[in-house]
Amino acid sequence: MNQNTDLLTLRSVSKSYGTVPVLHDIDLSIKDGEFLTVLGPSGSGKTTVLRLIGGLEPLTSGEIRLDGQDISRMPINRRPFNTVFQDYALFPHLTVSGNVGYGLSVRHVPRKEIARRVAEALELVQLGRFTDRFPAQLSGGQRQRVALARALICQPRLILLDEPLAALDLELRRQMQEFLKSIQREIKTTFLFVTHDQEEAIGMADRICVMQAGHIRQLGTPHELYYKPNCEFVARFFGENNLVAGKLGSVQGELRSIETALGRLVCSISDQPHLKTAADGASAFAAFRPEALHLADAKDTDNRFSGTIADMAFAGSSTVATITAGADHTGQRLRLRMPSRVDGSTLKSGATISLAFAPHEGHLVLA
Amino acid sequence: MSGPGTIPLAERRWSLLVTALAFALPVVFVLVPLAIFLGYSFFSVDQGTIVHTLSLGNYFRFFTDPIFLPVFWNTIVLCLSVAAICILLAYPAAYFLTTLKGRWRYALLMLLLVPLLMSYVIKIYAIRSILGLNGFLNKALVGLGILQEPSTLFVFNMNAILLTLTLLLIPFAILPIFLSLERIPQVLLRASDDLGASGLQTFLRITLPLSLPGVASAASFVFVLAIGDFLTPQMVGGISGFTFGRILYSQFGTAYNWPFGAALSVALAVVVIAAILVGERFGRNRGTAI
Repeated sequence: MNQNTDLLTLRSVSKSYGTVPVLHDIDLSIKDGEFLTVLGPSGSGKTTVLRLIGGLEPLTSGEIRLDGQDISRMPINRRPFNTVFQDYALFPHLTVSGNVGYGLSVRHVPRKEIARRVAEALELVQLGRFTDRFPAQLSGGQRQRVALARALICQPRLILLDEPLAALDLELRRQMQEFLKSIQREIKTTFLFVTHDQEEAIGMADRICVMQAGHIRQLGTPHELYYKPNCEFVARFFGENNLVAGKLGSVQGELRSIETALGRLVCSISDQPHLKTAADGASAFAAFRPEALHLADAKDTDNRFSGTIADMAFAGSSTVATITAGADHTGQRLRLRMPSRVDGSTLKSGATISLAFAPHEGHLVLA
Repeated sequence: MSGPGTIPLAERRWSLLVTALAFALPVVFVLVPLAIFLGYSFFSVDQGTIVHTLSLGNYFRFFTDPIFLPVFWNTIVLCLSVAAICILLAYPAAYFLTTLKGRWRYALLMLLLVPLLMSYVIKIYAIRSILGLNGFLNKALVGLGILQEPSTLFVFNMNAILLTLTLLLIPFAILPIFLSLERIPQVLLRASDDLGASGLQTFLRITLPLSLPGVASAASFVFVLAIGDFLTPQMVGGISGFTFGRILYSQFGTAYNWPFGAALSVALAVVVIAAILVGERFGRNRGTAI
C-alpha cells in the first residue's frame, strides 16, 4: 500500500434530491491505505458522500474514479467497497458466522474456505466464541464488530463506515475507536469514516475532510485543521476556539497584525500564503485556542489585554474560565483553559486579570 | 406513598370489574360453548331424543365407519391445497405491493381487501355463475380455443370448491404476507447488495426467509377458515364435492344427531388448534429481531 497514490477520486460531484441540492461540486481524493474521516454537522452532506461512493445512490453529475477508472455507474454489488451501516444492518435470521460469511457465500466461495476466512475475521475482531449466536443475542459493541468483520472479509479496497459508533455509550465508543484504528493499521485497508463527532475524528483520522452545507470546507491532518483552519466555519466547528473580529493590518515576516476590540493583535500566517496577500483592512478573525490563552506575565509583550472572569467551570483534567474582555469588559467573550490543580484555581469569578497569548499560537481566518 | 392502598375503593372495584369482564367474555362465549360441545360428544341419540349417558360410541363410530375418515382426510388435503395455492398467488401480489411507493401501495392494498366487505353468500353465487357449465370461465376457455366444448372439470365438484375457497380466502393470505414483507428494514437489502449479492440472491437469502413468518400466519389463517367452511362446499360442491364441514352440518340439520355432530366438531377442532399452533410456532421470528 502506498499512501501517496490516490485510490478513489471524486471529480466535481454534485447530488440533488429533486430540486434540493445536497452536494455542490465536490472534489476529493482518497489515498490508498489512509484513514479518512468526513466530519460535518447533520445536513452537511457527509453521509451522502459515503452513499454515492458506496453506490447506494446515483450521482446527479460529476464522476467517481477508482484507480483512474470511472465507476460512477457501476452497480452497488460490483463495487469493491463494503459498508458498515449506522445501525449495523445485520441479518437477523443468520448467525454471526452466517452474517460474516455472507459476502463470500454469495460469490460462491467454497464452503471450506468460507469457514476458514470467517474464523479468521472473527478472530481479528475478537469474536471467536460467538459464531453460532444470532445478532439479537449480542451487545451493541459486539454487533458493531460483527458488522466490521462482515465488511472486511471480502477484502474490499475501501471500507465505508457510516457513523458506526453513534449508538454506543461513551466508554464503549472510546474502546471501539482504538479498536477500529488498530484493525485499520493491521489490515492496511483504506477506511472512509463518517461522523459528526469531532473528538472521534481527531482521535482516529489520518486526514479529516470537514463538510458544511454540501461543500468541503477543509481537508487536512487533524493538526492542520486544529491549528490552521482556513475559514471561520472550521475554526469554530473544530474544537473550542476564541474568535475575535477585526481588520487586517501589516505583514511582518511570518506574522500579521489585526486591529480588534482587544487592541492590536499579532498572529502567525506561516504556510498560509492567502493571508499574506489579503488586502489591508480586510475583515478577518484572530483565532486562538483556550489553552493558548494564559495569565500575562512580564515576558508577554504582544497580544496583551485585560478581562473580567465571568465564570469558572471545573471540567476534570482542566478548568475553564469564561472571560469578558474588550474596552468595556463586556463585548468579547473568551475562554481560557488551564490544567486543574487539586487545591483549586487562584482565579475567582469577578476578578479582573491581564491576559495574553503568544503570536505563534494565534492564527487568522478571513471572515 | 403511592402503593395500591392509596387507590380509592371505588376505583379499585372498577378495575376489578373490568378485569373480571375481560376474562369472563372469552370464558362465557368461547370456552363454555366448547366445553358443552365436548360434553355433548359423549352423549347419544335415541328416537330423536338425546340420551344423557356418557359413552365413547360417537368417537368409535367416527374412527371405524368407512365414510367419515376418508372424507376427513380429503377435506384436510383440500384445505392444505387451498392454503398452498393462496400463498403462491398472494406472495407475488404482496411483494408487488411493497415495491410500490407511498399512496399507491395502500390504495392498491385497500382495493385487494374490498371483497372482504361483500357478503360471503353473494360472492359464492357470483363465483358459481363464473364456474358453471355456461359460465364465464368455460366460455372464455372455449373462446380462446383452449377447450373444444365446455368442461365439467370445475362444475359442482371438489375442484369447484378448491377454486371458490381460494378466491374467497386470498385476501386473508395477502395481508399477513404484505405486513411481514413491509416490516423488513430496507437497509438489510442494501447491506446485501453492498456485500455483492445479486437481486435474486438478496430475495432468496434475505427477503424470503424474513417473510416466512407472514407466510406461516397466512397459511394457517387460510387453512382454518377453509376447513371450517360448510357453506361454500354446500353451494358449489354438488354431490361429489363432499367435505367434512357438510357432514357436520348434516348431523345438526337433517340427521338431527347433535352428539355425533359434536364428536365430529371435536375432531375438527383438534385439527384447527394444531394448525393454529403450527402457524404460531413458525410465525414467530425465532427471537432474532434486530
